Amino acid sequence: MTPSNPVWITGVGTATPLGHTYKDFADSLLAGKSAVGRVTTFPIGDHPSQMAGQVAEVPCPPGHDAAEFAGLHRLEQLLRWCMVGALRDADWWDRRREVRVGLVLGSGAEWLEMWETDALSGGSKLWEAHRHSESMLRRALRLMELSGPCLTVSAACASGNYALMQARQWLELGWVDVCVAGACDMAVTPMSLACFGNLRALSRRNADPQAASRPFDRNRDGFVMAEGGAMFVLERADSARRRGARVYAEVAGFGASSDAHNMVIPSPDPEPATTAMRQALDDAGVTPSEVDYVNAHATSTPVGDVAETRVLNAVFGDWLKRVPVSSTKSMTGHLLTAAAAVEALACVAAMDRGALPPTINLDDPDPECDLCHVANEARPAKVRVAASNSFGFGGSNTCLVLKAV
Amino acid sequence: MEAVPELRRKPAPWCDPPLPINALKQADEQSVAAISAVHHALHHYGLAAAAFRDWGVLAAPHYMGRTAVAGGVHRYQNEGAWGASPHLPAHRSLHSPSGTISQLFKFRGPNIGVCGGPGCATEVLAAAAALLDRKHVPGLWVVLTAFDPDLPPVDRTGAHAPGTHCAALALALTPPRPATTSGIRLRVIAGGAICVPPPTAESAPALDLFGLKSVLEALARETEISRAAFILPMEAGGRVEVEKIGRTAEHAHRNGDGAALDARLLCSLPLAETQR
Repeated sequence: MTPSNPVWITGVGTATPLGHTYKDFADSLLAGKSAVGRVTTFPIGDHPSQMAGQVAEVPCPPGHDAAEFAGLHRLEQLLRWCMVGALRDADWWDRRREVRVGLVLGSGAEWLEMWETDALSGGSKLWEAHRHSESMLRRALRLMELSGPCLTVSAACASGNYALMQARQWLELGWVDVCVAGACDMAVTPMSLACFGNLRALSRRNADPQAASRPFDRNRDGFVMAEGGAMFVLERADSARRRGARVYAEVAGFGASSDAHNMVIPSPDPEPATTAMRQALDDAGVTPSEVDYVNAHATSTPVGDVAETRVLNAVFGDWLKRVPVSSTKSMTGHLLTAAAAVEALACVAAMDRGALPPTINLDDPDPECDLCHVANEARPAKVRVAASNSFGFGGSNTCLVLKAV
Repeated sequence: MEAVPELRRKPAPWCDPPLPINALKQADEQSVAAISAVHHALHHYGLAAAAFRDWGVLAAPHYMGRTAVAGGVHRYQNEGAWGASPHLPAHRSLHSPSGTISQLFKFRGPNIGVCGGPGCATEVLAAAAALLDRKHVPGLWVVLTAFDPDLPPVDRTGAHAPGTHCAALALALTPPRPATTSGIRLRVIAGGAICVPPPTAESAPALDLFGLKSVLEALARETEISRAAFILPMEAGGRVEVEKIGRTAEHAHRNGDGAALDARLLCSLPLAETQR
């Protein structure tokens, strides 16, 4: 049941391999473009997987000092760009000091990425960590003069969904008037690419990067790493109505569970993830037959895509034949802790543009992933309710339900 | 830190038989400490992990994975990509302690890593308040871990300096229940421009693992329960009020100026510290 004063998305800021604005992202997504290419930012000669979806350069937000911005770690640049973009888009930027603005970030490896980048370039932050102990989130809160609480959450690849849930809850508790929430990750680093490669989680289709991320396809061989992020401005409906704000979607439902099975491998038992999806639909007050689109977690790994298909079967039953499903990771690659936020943005784009984003590279659908695929090309459709699955290391299962307003 | 290798097999003395050798082999020191703290809490109150099957886990490590990155950089520079550990992403990230706890104890509620840097206690209690207010889960394990001293020196291979300690605090929290007649209650009040003035109460230490531990221990010793309360300040005027409640205490959940959490399930001492 939709509450009397629901929480709405009224602003978006993003930088992804598909573009640094919502418009560019939505255009590329619905054009079925692949953002995956050969990694060019560091030597990859001995890496088992040599491709990724990369954000070439994060633009400096308007009003920021370009020299100071250039000196920030790329993850912090990304966070600032997305935050400022979201607040400007929602028309809160100039009035941000007048209200309590909270900040919730999904990010699982802020310190790891910062220490690695610095250490590999000869820096000392890893060894003198006490001199560099302020988190980028608290720094952003301080420098942007935001007065609400802040929080970093990580459920690996499901982090962005938790961030949106926390923000919605803070708004419902009355702790904040406005909350900026989402997720950012800049995980395409030399060590990280090597670690995931050595885990044998990544595609090794190095000769054909744009065809490497192929969720649900019989010939998939692993995921493709990517980087980027999306931050959203959330506020209560009454506030948005009063301001005459542009509304992207309602944050309508959330569900979460843990497999308690393995840190890396999804549970063969679909029950925990099924529970998360059912919770989210219940929370949103919708039945499976009311879902117009599912943005699947599907990363393009042999095990994970089949496991998610079982979950979707359990939740939707016979109705699954009619529910369009796609994995936008086929175009963006897998943004790890930022994936859920960017996929929430893909759902927003589907509602906004009246079109379902496709799963590209789906040339030979795996019979074990028998779904109502949106294969290779976007399809026109009215999307009122979208469900976005995001699962992660540590056995995390989440589902976010967005409703059109 | 010298105890960590042994704790990987036996996170608590009563763990018999020991865990399989691969169970915590790759886990970060803070994950090991967190597991040990939950074991101690369960044992201290005579509870079975199975009773918490639907509970969630929020774990707030402090500067997670620093030793692993130090060692990893050393190996990467010497051996190239093939020297990079495939275990680093799963076991040394912010979400690793919560995932490890969930897996080992078979807790199937949501598991989330929180904060990872300064302000862990503030952030994890704010996150817990929001999750429990939603009543999606019957309860939450909240586990804080940190090194003492904070951010200790590590060498180029990732080894800590001698004398470094790793501490952990495990709390079991439930939503406030009207029927609660005794126990410890935490009320989280977010900061910001609009702030409720704090009531008069005893001054308290900083809101971190060690401060929270000392407050809970003090409350456990307190006999005049109706007046026992501490206020731990958060940023921007926010605060956490910790009180020991008695039969006459009023503890209705108040939206708008705070979210209450009961730490009652584990009686009056919901904490455990890892062995050093």
